[in-house]
Amino acid sequence: MNKAFVLLLCTNILYSLSLGQSQFAIRGVVVDENSKALPGATVFLEPVNKGTITDEAGKFEFRKLDKGRYNIKITFVGYAPISDSIWLDDAAVVYNAQLSVSPVYLEEVVVKDNYKEMRKKETALNVEIVDDAYVRQNLGGSLMKSLDRLPGVTTLDIGSGHSKPVIRGLSFNRVVVVENSIKHEAQQWGADHGLEVDQYAIDRIEVIKGPASLMYGSDAIGGVIDLKNRKLPEVNSLGGTIDLTGKTNNDFLGTSLALQGRKNWFFASIRATLLDYGDYKVPTDSVDIYSYRAALHKNHLRNTAGEEQNLHAFFGVIQKKIQSKFYVSNVTSKSGFFANAHGLEPRSVDTDLHDKSSRDIHYPYQTVSHFKLINTSYYQWDDRLQLELDLGGQRNFRQEWSQYVSHGYMPAVFPDTLSFNPDLERQFEKYVYTGNLKLSYELNDKANLKAGVSSEYQDNRIDGRGFIIPAYQQLTIGGYAFVSHAFSKRSELQFGVRYDYGHIHTEAYRDWFSSPVTLTDGDTSAAYLQRAGVINRSFSNVSWSIGYNYSLEKWLVNANVGKSFRMPIAKELAANGVNYHRFSYEVGNSELSPEVSYQFDLGVTYGSGKLSIGLSPFFNYFPNYIYLNPSSDHDRLYGNGNQVYYYTQSKVMRYGGELHFQYQLIKSIQLEIVGEYIYSKQLSGEKKGYTLPFSPPPSAIFSIRYQKQKIRFIETPYLFVDYKATAAQNNIVPPEEPTDGYQVINTGLGGTISLFHQQINISLQVQNLFNTKYFNHTSYYRLINVPEPGRNFIVNVSIPFSTKQTKNNNKQ
Amino acid sequence: MKSLKFLFSFAFLILLLNSCEKDDDEIDQEKPKINLEIDGAFPVNCDTLYFGETFTFKVLFSDNAELGSYSIDVHHNFDHHTHTTEVNECDLEEIKDPVNPYVSIVDYDIPEGKTSYETSLEITIPSGDENGEFDRGDYHFFISLTDKEGWSTQKGLSIKMMDR
Repeated sequence: MNKAFVLLLCTNILYSLSLGQSQFAIRGVVVDENSKALPGATVFLEPVNKGTITDEAGKFEFRKLDKGRYNIKITFVGYAPISDSIWLDDAAVVYNAQLSVSPVYLEEVVVKDNYKEMRKKETALNVEIVDDAYVRQNLGGSLMKSLDRLPGVTTLDIGSGHSKPVIRGLSFNRVVVVENSIKHEAQQWGADHGLEVDQYAIDRIEVIKGPASLMYGSDAIGGVIDLKNRKLPEVNSLGGTIDLTGKTNNDFLGTSLALQGRKNWFFASIRATLLDYGDYKVPTDSVDIYSYRAALHKNHLRNTAGEEQNLHAFFGVIQKKIQSKFYVSNVTSKSGFFANAHGLEPRSVDTDLHDKSSRDIHYPYQTVSHFKLINTSYYQWDDRLQLELDLGGQRNFRQEWSQYVSHGYMPAVFPDTLSFNPDLERQFEKYVYTGNLKLSYELNDKANLKAGVSSEYQDNRIDGRGFIIPAYQQLTIGGYAFVSHAFSKRSELQFGVRYDYGHIHTEAYRDWFSSPVTLTDGDTSAAYLQRAGVINRSFSNVSWSIGYNYSLEKWLVNANVGKSFRMPIAKELAANGVNYHRFSYEVGNSELSPEVSYQFDLGVTYGSGKLSIGLSPFFNYFPNYIYLNPSSDHDRLYGNGNQVYYYTQSKVMRYGGELHFQYQLIKSIQLEIVGEYIYSKQLSGEKKGYTLPFSPPPSAIFSIRYQKQKIRFIETPYLFVDYKATAAQNNIVPPEEPTDGYQVINTGLGGTISLFHQQINISLQVQNLFNTKYFNHTSYYRLINVPEPGRNFIVNVSIPFSTKQTKNNNKQ
Repeated sequence: MKSLKFLFSFAFLILLLNSCEKDDDEIDQEKPKINLEIDGAFPVNCDTLYFGETFTFKVLFSDNAELGSYSIDVHHNFDHHTHTTEVNECDLEEIKDPVNPYVSIVDYDIPEGKTSYETSLEITIPSGDENGEFDRGDYHFFISLTDKEGWSTQKGLSIKMMDR
């Protein structure tokens, strides 16, 4: 017990004494291991069967009690419950309780408010936190799509199963995805790149909106998606979960089976996931791919079927002072690209072959295999010092396959003397090694220090007939220190500074075929062209951030200002090839300077009982945003005379914000409004006055949600209707087209039922209820006029099982 | 309640700020146009080009602001991999494997400051190269046009390349 807690205890006794002696009462405060108040804990009193929930200060109170003996039970999800008996013979008894974190997470339903609130108070940036229950209820085509509903989060999609996270309009390498403390590294610069993450294996997702380079390094200039696999099995238990998912739009079938066990300090779990889906359906008969019209068979977007097989193992030791966890996973997928719109130009396809079945995958398609081995170890030195070491190794192997098509002056007939398969369009093999060391030290009662070193080495190899980026090696290393100082319980100041160093070496690349080049004397001769030269660049930067939090009873205000940076990636420095999704030719610039961003963030939250309102505006300025600029040039030596896009840098200003409104109409009905707005403008360069590509239009979700503890045999039943209204986006930049506004209704219902003592979680969803035909401005397929998926029924059944439930049959 | 009012007015202010933010700068949002309807336009869909001969490429390019450049790409369509952007489809020969197909990718400048430009470009097609005669048959004639701002338009034409 620390001083604050004792003080709190004393004030409570004083408070209770000062009250009149007219009635008997029990009151107290519930705190966590760190003596911080636990709002939302359930306190139950027997035999009177009275229950209450602790308020924001962790306080509870029962009044109008009779003299006598009572049993008090205090529970809070994620904490070990306390049960005690109290003899009430005084007018008021104070009962304060300290709950400790329990490792029992197995059948946890919702990790709600508490962690969320603590995390929000801890950081001056705007954070959104959701758990696996949220993901199940809002299941999209991919994990990122399931997060689409969060304020400030959108996705950049290509097809039904590939979505890239977009935080406040920034994406690709400007958003860092972290899985189990290690930065997920693949070919995230590519439009067709989804995320090699198993959405069944994640149980908590934190989204940091705004520049978080300070803690997460170079690429976190736009934000962070932090994915965690955190649930640990119960002590001395064996159990598991089966998940089954079905979707009607693309005849999706998915299943995931997890088994887990724990013997005191050792735990282990394994998971296997299988997904298989067909071509997805769009509410249209044909699409206009630039000037080409392509008819669709039975509304199927030709060849967008796919499959995924994932395996995970998670094991480690949990001791009081030491924790060490290992994650091993392999995520493998194969998925088709819309066959009419991939390559050098829109293509005619063999419709007999492609339309025979909606489940088969023909050319063009991609296969991806992502292997990870991660160890995170945690050591509690003493009460004040904690150390964490994260080590990770990853291998990303991606192949893109399509029928051999000669680019430019490639031979019409593929020679049999080459080492690669003619149909192998591109291949990337990337090895990534990561090491992070973090320490957290309590300087004194009021101040906390977090410091760390993070490093990463990447080795990327390429193969295949087509060239886009060269092979490269990249090393980054950075160190940071972050101090938070609490002036009082209400206000806290945070300051952090970070230094980064990075080096990138790209390898030269020469065509495997010869092209005609014009010599100085006007003659032409055939030459093997060099697409990329050797580039050696080093970058270093100091970033910083200052934040301030202030909380009043009903108010929480945070402000943050900071400088973030991002190293140019190999694609931006050395690209020289065709983008097969928009038939353009992309050229890098080896002279690019590292991108710097200055951002001011504000967050204001008001919460009182039934009502909660949050507003989080931001202003952001880039003196040198790296931008892929469509020029008026045409390429003549590759592809088929495609328009050239050059990487350039320009000054960019962006601002916007999110609005979140929640109102508890009656106990079981909640109203919610989530709105977001972003404006961006280029202030210099060739596209001065234009916006940035894929700017999300303003949108709002109006939602009504019905939720109860229990209706007959259904526990925690819920029903929600989301009405999403999106404005038109007329703020465009070449090659985009204005996109009309649209309105879509999504709805879901579910709950938990018990069949023969077996718990079953069911969630049903209907997306795009009225099968509305609409376009999403931030979809890659928007450029070729492919509307968003039509009506989609989604069913998810999740069945947890454990030895605890069948105690009589199994010995532990 | 006072503080609530403050929050609302704050939100309102932001909304107001945004709605007032109409762009003063004139931003070009128009794509350039390729016109094949003019008198004597050549080639148009289903036309035939002849090996060993010279033809005049005649189309009308236009843009609201300023034209950029154009490129012409000619490649075989023996595998019927591509179709035309025009309404009418042409009769194609049987699918066949290429042996020595003709290929040409050339980009051309448009004089600066033009909003309208009619091409009159003489293109000579050789009848063969060091590997022998070029394959006769179905070809694809692809025109791409950009304006100065980077907007682009494409036309894909089905043509035949034959001997006279």
